[in-house]
Amino acid sequence: MSRNRGSFIMTTQRSFALLSIWGFLSALKILSAAGLMTLLPSMASASDKFESLVDQARGQSVYFNAWGGSPAINAYIAWAAEQLKDRHDITLIHVKLTDTADAVSRILAEKTAGKTSGGSVDLVWVNGENFASLKRQNLLQDKAWAFSLPSFAYTDSTALPALISDFATPTDGLESPWGRAQLVFGYDTAYVVAPPRSAAALNDWVKQHDNQGRFTFPGPPDFTGTSFLKQIALEVVPDSSIFVVPAPADMDTADAMLAPLWTWLADVSPYLWRAGRHYPVNYTDMVRLLGDGEVAIAMAFNPAEFSNGIAKGILPDTVRSYIHEDGTLANVHFVAIPFNANGPAAKVVANFLLSPEAQLRKANSDIWGDPTVLSMDKLSPADADAFARLPRGIATLSDAQLSASLAEPHPSWVKVIEQGWAKRYAAD
Amino acid sequence: MSGQPHTARNASRVVGAVAILLLLLAPVLAGLVGAVLPATGWFPPLGGDTVSFSPLRAFLAEPGLVTSLSLSIFTALMATALSYGLAMGLLAVLVGTGGAALLTRLISPLLAVPHITIAVGFLFLLQPSGWLIRLLSPWATGLERPPNLNLVPDEAGWMLVIGLVAKEVPFLVLMGLSVASQIDVRRLLDGARSLGRGPLVSWCLVVQPQLGRRLILPVMIVLVFSVSVVDMAVVLAPSTPAPLAVRILVWFRDPDLMRQFVAAVGALAQMGLALICCGIWAITSAVWARLICHICRSGKRLRTQPLLARAGRFWLLGLAVLPCALAALGLTSSLIWAFADIWRFPDGLPSRWGVQAWMTTGDGLLRAAVNSLYLGLASAFVSVFAAVLWLESASLRTATRQNAAGDRQMRLRVEGLIYLPLLIPQAAFLFGLQVLLIWLGVDGMFLTLLWVHVVFVFPYIMLSLGPSWRRFDTGFTELAANLGAGPWRRFYAVKLPILLIPVLTAFAVGFAVSQALYLPTIFASNGRVATLTTEAVILASGAGRQTLGAASVLQMALPFFVFMAADLIGLARFRRFSWFRV
Repeated sequence: MSRNRGSFIMTTQRSFALLSIWGFLSALKILSAAGLMTLLPSMASASDKFESLVDQARGQSVYFNAWGGSPAINAYIAWAAEQLKDRHDITLIHVKLTDTADAVSRILAEKTAGKTSGGSVDLVWVNGENFASLKRQNLLQDKAWAFSLPSFAYTDSTALPALISDFATPTDGLESPWGRAQLVFGYDTAYVVAPPRSAAALNDWVKQHDNQGRFTFPGPPDFTGTSFLKQIALEVVPDSSIFVVPAPADMDTADAMLAPLWTWLADVSPYLWRAGRHYPVNYTDMVRLLGDGEVAIAMAFNPAEFSNGIAKGILPDTVRSYIHEDGTLANVHFVAIPFNANGPAAKVVANFLLSPEAQLRKANSDIWGDPTVLSMDKLSPADADAFARLPRGIATLSDAQLSASLAEPHPSWVKVIEQGWAKRYAAD
Repeated sequence: MSGQPHTARNASRVVGAVAILLLLLAPVLAGLVGAVLPATGWFPPLGGDTVSFSPLRAFLAEPGLVTSLSLSIFTALMATALSYGLAMGLLAVLVGTGGAALLTRLISPLLAVPHITIAVGFLFLLQPSGWLIRLLSPWATGLERPPNLNLVPDEAGWMLVIGLVAKEVPFLVLMGLSVASQIDVRRLLDGARSLGRGPLVSWCLVVQPQLGRRLILPVMIVLVFSVSVVDMAVVLAPSTPAPLAVRILVWFRDPDLMRQFVAAVGALAQMGLALICCGIWAITSAVWARLICHICRSGKRLRTQPLLARAGRFWLLGLAVLPCALAALGLTSSLIWAFADIWRFPDGLPSRWGVQAWMTTGDGLLRAAVNSLYLGLASAFVSVFAAVLWLESASLRTATRQNAAGDRQMRLRVEGLIYLPLLIPQAAFLFGLQVLLIWLGVDGMFLTLLWVHVVFVFPYIMLSLGPSWRRFDTGFTELAANLGAGPWRRFYAVKLPILLIPVLTAFAVGFAVSQALYLPTIFASNGRVATLTTEAVILASGAGRQTLGAASVLQMALPFFVFMAADLIGLARFRRFSWFRV
């Protein structure tokens, strides 16, 4: 009996190994469909090559530049560092940033000074506008390294095109996916009976007498704050097709196209927290305000944020989450390697961060709660099962509830929104 | 004695002084060049290969620029004026009384705590969900939720002003006490009082002008620091828009790389702001001096009523102590947060105490603390060494030269140069410096970081050590020389032990300065070396208050231990030399 079961497990394991090879091949197919045929020859021996990378990477240090404002995320990165040390003898050093743009400008300063090797950034947590900027200025390693990582085989970019198209900018394999994000709102049921599930409803809610001063958003150019404005823009601008293409180069024209957004803001701003004279620095700052009862609604780019907050005692257990009826912004975040980074260890780190084990831990809402970028269909049943059994937390929506999502606008709109907002609300 | 070795020794001293100067000034000057070039549009890596006005135009088109500039000027001048006024008031009331010693004891700890720690304390104490309102709610205020008030930051920048005042009053008081011990305050006061003037009036008319003249340098340092402060402003200043220094950092960090040009213009504008502030200060104090002169000449007997004088004293003390007391309360609330697992509004104290913050993020904090400690100890050690070298060569030179007066003049002029790093706003030269360091391939190295720290620590050590060194009674060394001690022996066996306490104090001050540096650390380390201060600034923007509290506790603990160690060493060594107390 037990022997039978053992052999059963063995066969299933083998067949899943086959499955994952099949998955890898199908990933290759997708890549070739995406016009990356030229990469194929080099990928035939990808795993051999990667093994030799792992050998070369031993003893190296990787300076990982990542936003450092969340203790939960910092603790997760510290765990990854321990694992990498144990398994690959790689020293992962988390350089905590207040803003990812900080790393971008540092890489630029190095290019300015002609430092083409031995750069200070080996790996950077990035997406959207920062990635577009790095790519445009040729500040990234110019090989499509991310597609050849063994862990990339567990992803499915047909089902999730955002894996190879970062805010509509093709990644070209210059960055490796790390996690998924969706804009989610949290509210305290002690103060809010029916949360406003659209931009229009939110506008009414903010202005109601009892709610005045109990809503805000992080001040742009904070990532979450800008994203919130993008969300509102997508909902209130009648012709949302303008967001698929680059914003007009003329700032005044572009600004005028966002007129419904500015009207929406002008409407609610006087009734915001602190009368719109001051804004939270970032989403963790805002979640703290929700916990103190200063605001009744907050937002985050992580569906598990509010469960996580309850688990840590930052939020009361009366907090729940919701998204807007027509869906909310969803995107993928990545890790990228600058043009002057040191050695191959960064790729080993990226591969580990993308591995089922690391992704599983990251998706746990007690730890971080960042949804995985892996495709359940490409994983072994055991791994897929482990993901399915993850505790979701009382304030996390189900996948079905989260299914309504909106695509990110073209990154060029970020500047229009940030400057338009600064001109109106951060100028006197 | 032949002239030959003498000239050689002098030459080596000159070389030493020039080397120290070069090491101090090269980063500042190179950094300025690195800001001027992009400001004119010349920055080839970004395609800026022609000189143009477009960066300037883009800078001027920034929304809310005028508000940012006026906010910077207002907070800097107000903070400096208040700090100066309160510090001088405290001195007037307390010099010559037992209160002075007590005051020094009470305010020194504030001097040793980094700016960001004070700012975080204010945040924890005074924001709408802060400790003060928690303590009063709901029994006194009736509040179950924090009020919707614009507190920390407020709209006008007063929080930043108060935060700066809490840090700068102790600095100016200590500098003032040091200066007051150089001028014969008692004699001046007795003279004035014999002419029939009250004590407070005598102080204002006679001592104050003398004191003020000698305090120009510290006041300018405070002014320039206040106009370009970043770490404290991030937490306490308005954000829509922020003061100029904070915006320069935002521009530097903008992923739109063309904004670097705007940032460079901003850096130069920062320089201009500092000049404007110093100009306004200089004009105001000249007018003030005129007024005093006029009053003195008029011979009016400005006598305050004794009762009025006592009330004045009381208010002055209260006003001066208030920001410092708030800072102390704020630090206490940081301490509570560090050991609070759960502390919900409106509880006056945590509902669950614990060490969660230390367990989850302790490693990172510990690493940052170790970096702070190494960097602080190393830069204080190097700077004290260099300062002793500098002061000793200067005092020897004056002793051996004929034209001592002319030499002294020259020395003072040269010595003015070492304070340049404190008199030029940090933001104005640090980005250019970063480019230079990368170009040299030395960015992010510990030695580089140490060097940049020394650039800022050395001047403060000179401020702290200089007066005691110059006051040294050369009689002791002359006596030793008569007993046959050589110059080296005279130095290490006589002079150094007598000056041990000032040296140790200077060391501790240097440590505190190094620990508080924010912009220099992030630029010179290329972000790779995390210190407690850089960690605290990151944590202050959101995240867990528990961890922020823990970082604050470490920031208080490190200088505390260093100062205590300095005290203990001083005490242990001093027993033998207690006769020579200086």
